[in-house]
Formats: sequence, C-alpha cells, structure tokens
Amino acid sequence: MSEATVHSGGIADHVHPEPEGFVRKYIFSIDHKIIGIQYLITGFVFLVLAGLLAEVIRVQLMHANGGFVSADTFNEVYSVHGSAMVWLVIIPLVTGGFGNFVFPLMIGARDVAFPWLNMLAFWMFPPAGLMLFSSFLLGAPAAGWTEYPPMSLQGAAGTSMWCAAIFLVGVSSTLTGINFLVTILKMRAPGMTFTRMPLFVWAQFATAPLSMVATTALAAALAALFMERQFGVPFYDPTKGGSPVLWQHMFWFYSHPAVYIMILPAFGLVSEIFPTFSRKPIFGYKMIAFSSVAIALLGFMVWAHHMFTSGMAPLLQLPFMVLTMLIAIPTGIKIFSWVATLWGGDIRFTTAMLFALGFIATFTFGGITGVFLSAVPFDLHAHGTYFIVAHLHYVLVGGSLMGILAGMFYYFPKMSGRMLNETIGKWTFWLFFIGFNGTFLPMHYLGLMGMPRRVAEYDPQFQQLNQVESIFSFVMTFALLLFFGNILWSIRNGKKAGPNPWGARTLEWQIPSPPHYYNFKHIPTVFSTPYDFAEPLPYAGLEEELTDSPGPQAGH
Amino acid sequence: MNWVIVERSVAAVGSVVVFVVAVIALKNDWKTPGIENHVFKIMLGLLALGGIIAFLAGIDVLGRFGGAA
Amino acid sequence: MAVTTVPHAGVHDDGPDQLYVETRELRLQGFLLFLVSDVVLFSSFIFAYLYLRNTGNVWPPPGINRLDVAFAAFNSMVLFGSGCTMHYALENWKHNNFVKYAWCMIATIVLGAMFLGGQGYEYTTLYFRDHVSWGGSGIFGASFFTLTGMHGFHVAVGVVYLTVLLLQSLAGTYTKDKFFGLTAGTLYWHFVDVIWVVLFSIFYLI
Repeated sequence: MSEATVHSGGIADHVHPEPEGFVRKYIFSIDHKIIGIQYLITGFVFLVLAGLLAEVIRVQLMHANGGFVSADTFNEVYSVHGSAMVWLVIIPLVTGGFGNFVFPLMIGARDVAFPWLNMLAFWMFPPAGLMLFSSFLLGAPAAGWTEYPPMSLQGAAGTSMWCAAIFLVGVSSTLTGINFLVTILKMRAPGMTFTRMPLFVWAQFATAPLSMVATTALAAALAALFMERQFGVPFYDPTKGGSPVLWQHMFWFYSHPAVYIMILPAFGLVSEIFPTFSRKPIFGYKMIAFSSVAIALLGFMVWAHHMFTSGMAPLLQLPFMVLTMLIAIPTGIKIFSWVATLWGGDIRFTTAMLFALGFIATFTFGGITGVFLSAVPFDLHAHGTYFIVAHLHYVLVGGSLMGILAGMFYYFPKMSGRMLNETIGKWTFWLFFIGFNGTFLPMHYLGLMGMPRRVAEYDPQFQQLNQVESIFSFVMTFALLLFFGNILWSIRNGKKAGPNPWGARTLEWQIPSPPHYYNFKHIPTVFSTPYDFAEPLPYAGLEEELTDSPGPQAGH
Repeated sequence: MNWVIVERSVAAVGSVVVFVVAVIALKNDWKTPGIENHVFKIMLGLLALGGIIAFLAGIDVLGRFGGAA
Repeated sequence: MAVTTVPHAGVHDDGPDQLYVETRELRLQGFLLFLVSDVVLFSSFIFAYLYLRNTGNVWPPPGINRLDVAFAAFNSMVLFGSGCTMHYALENWKHNNFVKYAWCMIATIVLGAMFLGGQGYEYTTLYFRDHVSWGGSGIFGASFFTLTGMHGFHVAVGVVYLTVLLLQSLAGTYTKDKFFGLTAGTLYWHFVDVIWVVLFSIFYLI
C-alpha cells in the first residue's frame, strides 16, 4: 500500500456491501453510476418521443395551409415538445445523467453525499414524464412550454397535469442539486482543492445552486397556477385582481437560470474533451472555472429579457438588457479559451471531438443571436417570431444536445466497457450537423421577415423555406436514429474499451471500464489539475486500481 | 371581557420575554464555531427582531395602517 | 516519486467516530440547503403577494375587513415562545439535563399546536364572520390563505417532527455526543419561526 494513501476512517474508507439481485443492482440502485445510466436511458427515451412531436411540427409546416393536424392539436404538440425537451430530456441528461455518472468519479468519491435521495430523485422522473405525455389523453397543454395565463387558465385538464408533472420533475431536480452541491463541497479526494478540480466538476458546482434555488421558484409558480385552475384561487387572472405578468416574472425567474442549467454541464463536458483530443492543457483553467460561476450568478439577474414586450416599464428594461449583454463576456472567455486550447494541439478527430468542435460553431452562433436579442429594440421586433425559435434551437440543440452527444461518445466506453462505432459516429455527426443547420439556419431569416412562432398555418411566401427546413429535419432525425442504433449495437458488439481508450487524465479514466461498484480500491490523493500532459499523472495511491487485487471490504 | 386588551397585553409582555431570551442566548453562544451555530445565531437575531415587532404591534404602534382591530 | 507534501484537505485524524463526524457534516449541509430552498419557496409567494398588492389601489380591497392585529400578535407570542423553549430544549440536552430537555420539548410541541389552533380560529373567523375565502376573495384571500396555509403546514409538519424526535430521544436514539436529529429539528423550528416574523409583518402590519 502506498504511503501516500490516506486512511481516514471516515467516508472514504466506508464501503457499502455490493448489492445483490437484479432489482437492487439495476432497478432500485443507490449507485450513482447506475442512476446516471438510468437517467440517460430515460432521457433518451423522452428525446425520441419529443423528437417525434418535432417531426409532427415539421410535417405540418411543410404546407402553408397546414392540414396534417388541426390547429388545436398543433398547439398541444409544440407545447409538449418544448416542455419535454427542457424538463424531460436536456436537464435530466446533463445533470442527472452525466452529472451522476461522471463527477463523483472525477472527485475520487465512492458515491454522492445522499445515495438514497439520489435514487428517490431519479424515480420521480419517469412518472413525471408519463404524466406529461399522458396529458394528451385529457387535452394537452396548448399555450407553449411557457403556458402564459390567461390562456393557461382555460382549456382542458392537461394543463393541470402539466403543472403536476413539471412540479414533480422539479422536486427531483432540486434534490439532485442539493445532493451534488454537498458532494462537491465535502467529498473531494484529499488534495483536491477547488482549483484542482476538473472543469466538469466546476460546471456541476455552478449548476447545482441553480437547480436548487431556481427550480423551487418554478414550483411556486406552478403550484399557484394549479391552485388557480383547480380551486379558483386568483393569482394570474386580471379580472380577479391577479396579473398575467406575475406569471411571467415567476416563470422566467426560473426558466432563465434553467437555460444555464442546460448549458453549463455541456460546457463542462466540452472542457474535458478538448484537452484530451488536443493533447494539450486546457487554456485558461481558472478563467473557465470562474466564468461558470459568473454565468450562474448573472443568470439570476436577467430573467426579464424574456418579457420586453410584456408592457414592463422601459426604465426597467435597461438593467436587464445590460446584464444580459454582460453574460456574453464570461461565455466568450470560455469560447476563446477552448479555441486557444486547440491551437497548436495534436488534434485527434474522434467523433466526440467532432461533436465538441461542432458545438463551438453552433453554440457560438446561437450565443451571438442571443446578444442581438438582448438589445431591446431588436427584441421588440424579433420577439414571438421564428428568430427566437432559431436562437433557442441553436443554443439548446447546437449547444446542449451536441454537448450531450459529444459526452456520450466520450463516456460510453467508461460506462459500458465498449467503444461506440467510430465510422457510424462520423456519419452521425455530419448528418446531424448538416441536418441541424439546414433546419434552423433559415429560421433566422423567416423570423425577421415576419413569420410568427407557434402557428399551424402561415403566409405562403414562407412555404419554400419551411419545406427545406422540414427536409433537413428528417436528415437530423435519421442521424439521431443512427446514434441510437450505434448504442444498441455497441453494447454487445463494440470493441472492448479498456480503462482509458482516449489517454485522458482525469480520475475516472484511471480505473476499469465500467468501474467496480466501489469506484476506487483506495481513494487517491491529488496534487494538481489533471490537464498538464507534459507531466506524469498528479495522483498518488492508484497503483492497485487496474490490478486483480481484491476490492475494499464492506464497512471498512 | 375585552379580549383585545388581553391579547395585546400578552403580546407586549411576551415579546419582551422573547427578546430577552433571544439576546441572552445570542450573548452566551456568540463564540461557538461551526456553520450550524452561525445559522442559529442568525435565527436568534431574527427572533429578537420578531420580539421587537410583536411588541410594537401589541402596543398599537405598528399595524395601524395595514390592519387593526 | 517527486511529489509535494500532502495537503490536508479532507484528511482528519483517525478515530472510531470519524465516519460519524463526516456523515454529520454531510447531513448538516444537506439540511441547511433544504432550508435554503424552503426560503426560496416562501420568498416566491411573498414576491407574488407584494407584486399583486402593489398593482392594486386600496388594501384591504373593498368589502374586506382589516385583519386582527391584536390576535395575531398574541398568536405570534405563542410561536416565538415555542422558539425560546426549543432553544432551551437543545441547550439542556447539550448539558445532559434530560428531564429539563423533555419538558422544554413538550412545551414547544404544545405551544406549536396552540399556534395552529390560533390559526384555525383566525381562519374560521375570517371565513364565517367576514366571508373571506381562499378562492372567492380576490388576491386578498388568495395570498393570505396560501402563504399562512403553507406556513401552517410547515408548523404542523414541525409539530409531528418534534414529537417523533422526543419519542426517539426517550427510546435512546440520541447520546450526549450524537444528536444531529435534535439539532436539525431545532434549525427547522427556528426557520418556521423566522418565516412567521416575515409573514406577520407583511400581512398584519403594512
């Protein structure tokens, strides 16, 4: 045993007994790795469902006078599509999925702080999703994922189900935020000070307070909407003294930080992928780390930029505009740092790297249109048009989803012990990239030319571009089907991965793939950030991890 | 029986007691370390504040405009 | 190997209670963060109330009586008093005075229940005498009953929680050195108290 191994007698040495039986191992597991994979599987299932809804939208929009579905159904389709993508796909995938699986390994922990709470939080997620999708049976919500009153006060019961479903998945998200925050604060390996943490951990550290604080504000808004719909308690109905703008404030106070919940972990994934496949230290480690925190903090102060057309006082619009523009600074710092990381590096164009590179292109594009929109005069023109749809899909699909895909290609070997097929992966990337841009790039133009969003029928002058977009969306869908096929095939037939197929330096790559249930035989000690490829690995105590020696005793 | 006088008297006297208890507790525990003790100190301070507010409400200084009985 | 000395982040002395010390830290942090999220929940509804009241003109709205400040001040005493007895309960436990601790806990629980009774009296007076209801009295009824109802729910949960803690301590679950449940209960009860300071001020005094 290395003399640098630390025996503290505390949590680091305390190992749960190995779970027995299929149910304890794979269904009701308290192991963060299994829970992470459960979130990924469930999230991808909802991605398919919400993606199908997207294709219903695109088929409808191929013709200016619609005809595929009724206008009412169309409203329900885009409302559930948006709600599902935000709350059932992106947020669970980046926080519950990658967050759970990766960062406890990265900090040299055996699990998160509250494993039972972790399991409880996960098991709220599938029922919440089922509730949301089954709202179609009762008349789904039809006022967009933003459900503004007075429209959300009317109509079928599905909107109340929407309230309950999102509330439930919100509780899950809040509990996960608390869990992750305590884990990062208290369970880092010896020697891993904050400025030696990998950047993905910094990303989760910045995201966890958002999950915790912002989601609770949404819970209040949803509870009030539910109480008003079901019990007639007036909060938002202006005829009873309420205010629709109150909903907008409460909703966006959560939903703006929510977009940072969706993107910060993706930034973290990409920050890990670039150094590995450039074989160079990340440029500007501290700047990237602190900019994540800055983005999280600023993210709480800009919500009303979604409300510039609500009738709010112009004087109030000014600080929101300025603060929103300010967020471009830490974000830009990250983008420049990533590019500087690539500069002069020994680039390996694996699929994970391709998705990460594509991420820089499309996310930056989306971020720039965000800066356009932060200017009030521009937003007054573009609000409610397809320009917004273009912007949000560039940052959420071109940003978050591409980050997720990059992360999947990067971490699938660690999770399963097998490689994803790189040839299919490269086809996936190019088809997805081309399909994505073909679908969403023309929307900027359409929006500025006046095509409103959330319409089942539109002016015929827009039809040709809409048809082009729809065709490209089928390409994008096909790419995603390739991706899922790749996963299903590679689980059984993929090339064996070994512990570190990429030659990466963070702790999770120094143990077997997939890791043992106890993660580490001995909790290592950490001496620096992991990114300096010129130096030996900055860890002590990992000598036995890849040998056949027995694991730690339970309870020790 | 004029319940209002009873209620106000209890409020006025009780709030003094609460204030004194909170301040004494704060004084005794001022130097304790650890985050839970820091949180306790904040809460005791707010409890003392609550005592002041309840006292002023009891003697009818506060609460004349928003509500009164 | 050429490494620097091991910094002592996360490394403590050996000892049989090291696991308890570290686990307690985790639970404490988690519980405090839970309280933070609860503060956010109340803050959101408080924001909604202040926002709605600000866009109106007259308060209370026409046809609704002003709230009973005297009674609420009295009921506040009951709750703040229970905060004092809770503080002494924990103090007595720490100084090994089990009997005094138990009486202080009982006093806290009884006072908490009395506060709930007082709220029940307030609610029934508002509903039956003043005809103020949750859904039928505009934003006055909506905000008052929602916020005080949420608070009352938290008090009720607290009363149950403290009762469970008392029973557990009678059964020997806690020792002089290991009593995190009691600390958490005290934190929760003070939190409920502090929320009431805010609610009392914004509903009765402004």
